[in-house]
Amino acid sequence: MTRHWQWRYWPLKAKLLFLTLSTSTLGIVLVCASLIVVENKSYQRQLESELHVIAGILAEQSAAALVFEDNNQLTSILSSLRRIETIRQVCVFDASGGVMSALNSEREESCPDINYAQPMGFSDNYYRLLQPVTLDDETVGHLYLISDLKALRAHIQTFIFIALSIGALIQLGLVFVALKLQRVVSEPILALSGTAERIAQEHDYSIRAPVSGQDELGRLGSTFNDMIETIQQQNRRILESRDSLERIVENRTSQLSLANKELEAFSYSVSHDLRQPLRAIEGFGQALEEDCEGQLNDTGKDYLRRIRAASVRMGNLIDGLLVLSRVSRQPLENQRFNLSDMLQEITEELNDIHSPLPTDVCIQSDVWLVGDDRMLRIAFQNLLENAWKYSAKEEKRVIDVSATSEANYITIAVKDNGVGFDMRYVSKLFVAFNRLHAPSEFSGTGIGLATVSRVIRRHSGDIFATSDVGAGATFYVKLPILPDGH
Amino acid sequence: MDEYSILVVEDNPDDQVLTVRALKKASRKSQVIVLEDGQEALDFLFGSDTQEPCKQLDQLGVILLDVKLPRVNGLEVLKKIRASTRTDWLPVVMITSSDEPAELVEAYRLGANSYVTKSIDYREFEEQMAVLARYWLKVNKVPKADSVRTL
Repeated sequence: MTRHWQWRYWPLKAKLLFLTLSTSTLGIVLVCASLIVVENKSYQRQLESELHVIAGILAEQSAAALVFEDNNQLTSILSSLRRIETIRQVCVFDASGGVMSALNSEREESCPDINYAQPMGFSDNYYRLLQPVTLDDETVGHLYLISDLKALRAHIQTFIFIALSIGALIQLGLVFVALKLQRVVSEPILALSGTAERIAQEHDYSIRAPVSGQDELGRLGSTFNDMIETIQQQNRRILESRDSLERIVENRTSQLSLANKELEAFSYSVSHDLRQPLRAIEGFGQALEEDCEGQLNDTGKDYLRRIRAASVRMGNLIDGLLVLSRVSRQPLENQRFNLSDMLQEITEELNDIHSPLPTDVCIQSDVWLVGDDRMLRIAFQNLLENAWKYSAKEEKRVIDVSATSEANYITIAVKDNGVGFDMRYVSKLFVAFNRLHAPSEFSGTGIGLATVSRVIRRHSGDIFATSDVGAGATFYVKLPILPDGH
Repeated sequence: MDEYSILVVEDNPDDQVLTVRALKKASRKSQVIVLEDGQEALDFLFGSDTQEPCKQLDQLGVILLDVKLPRVNGLEVLKKIRASTRTDWLPVVMITSSDEPAELVEAYRLGANSYVTKSIDYREFEEQMAVLARYWLKVNKVPKADSVRTL
């Protein structure tokens, strides 16, 4: 549920209108109220003084009549007051408090007993007045006068009506002015915020806010537009540089794929064209040995043997290079597989091929990897072959494969008890055609570890080795732990 | 029964000699026909302006067809052999020096009966040829040409 009734959700227009109207209403109400109070007071004072004047005149006129107890005279004096509508009752008392004469406006109403205190002045919608009647500084009686306040009320009501009407007119004018003001103040702001919203939603930086006038709002609009202009330019520059980057990448990619194709063609021709002469050398060597053996002396036979051994080495080199080029360019097809099982298989194959030396192999069970299993098989095949080969001169071959996991990496260590190598040359270990042992000691192409390194690096991993001469070597393969299927 | 003869299509003169030597070693009485390239093979099988097509196809126990050949390559020859009812039943063994997985798949797609990568080691190569000769010339049977025509 949204709470749009909350002040902060109000639109700017409503806020402005609300504030303007409530302020003006408060002002108008205060002004009206104070005017009404003042007017009420002054009218009361006026009424009071008028009544006092009337009462004074009456007292003067009726003094003689009172002294002579001339009721007729009193009545005629009092009846002259009938014309004054507001006077409700007039009583004339003699000096002892007896009623001498009375005038009632509407119904008969007895005069009050003036010997008891009566509330005088304004009270209960009436104004009461007791005027002593004096003759030669002697009080000869009293005049009691009650006036109702209808006229006052009517006057005040009229006044309130007029004040409220004027207030309403002022309010109407204010609403009009507020609406006008909005057009001046809030509309540019609304337009600005609308523009900002559209830009944010559509990401179209070519939109500009309308700018009117040179006041603060006009400047705000132009500043906003300048800002958007800057963003648009920067955006354009970013897009341009992205485009040019994309073009460069595209270019490089096509160059690369061309180079890849060339490499493929090259490796095909290497595999096909280099092998043929080799087989011929090998084949005719054998044919020579078989068909013409009797015609060769020992030196000839030795030369023949060397020719054939060289051709075998050449073949191995070609094979190694082919594998290296294949693991370099083939796309990776990652999947989860059991490395322990794979290593076990490789071990069994190696045991079948190599010379019968007591061999003690320990492979940690249930090591799982995610990666291209064909390529990793090539890598671990090479590592295990090396372990086999370089431990062939020991009394007993001891090979240990273990795995440790840390953070996002798994490290597989392949340890042998073979001849090892000199750590000074460790940097040459993984470079193609670099060998740390003479061919007469251990045969090899110098491509195997380069291939291993290539495979591991293509899996975003790392390979390193430690060794002591004569005390075996340990090769560490560090691979990132990938989620299954990536 | 006479031994089948064998057709070898191989462009490399050294390999021709070595192949014939190895085949003869395994199957002395078989006749080995050697052709230099794909076009020669097509002319031999289907005939040309100057050449009659081979009349005794049912005498061929197998065709050993090199993949990489000048003019018309081995896979194209295979395609043509499989496209004609006259020859589509002939056993064809593709022979290659390279080890290209794509080529292997393509060969079988086109209907090769077998695919052999020539071993770099001559001793193994000789063994491969001996196995092929023993199997295709002595173990395997091919139909008579007339039975192919009538069925």
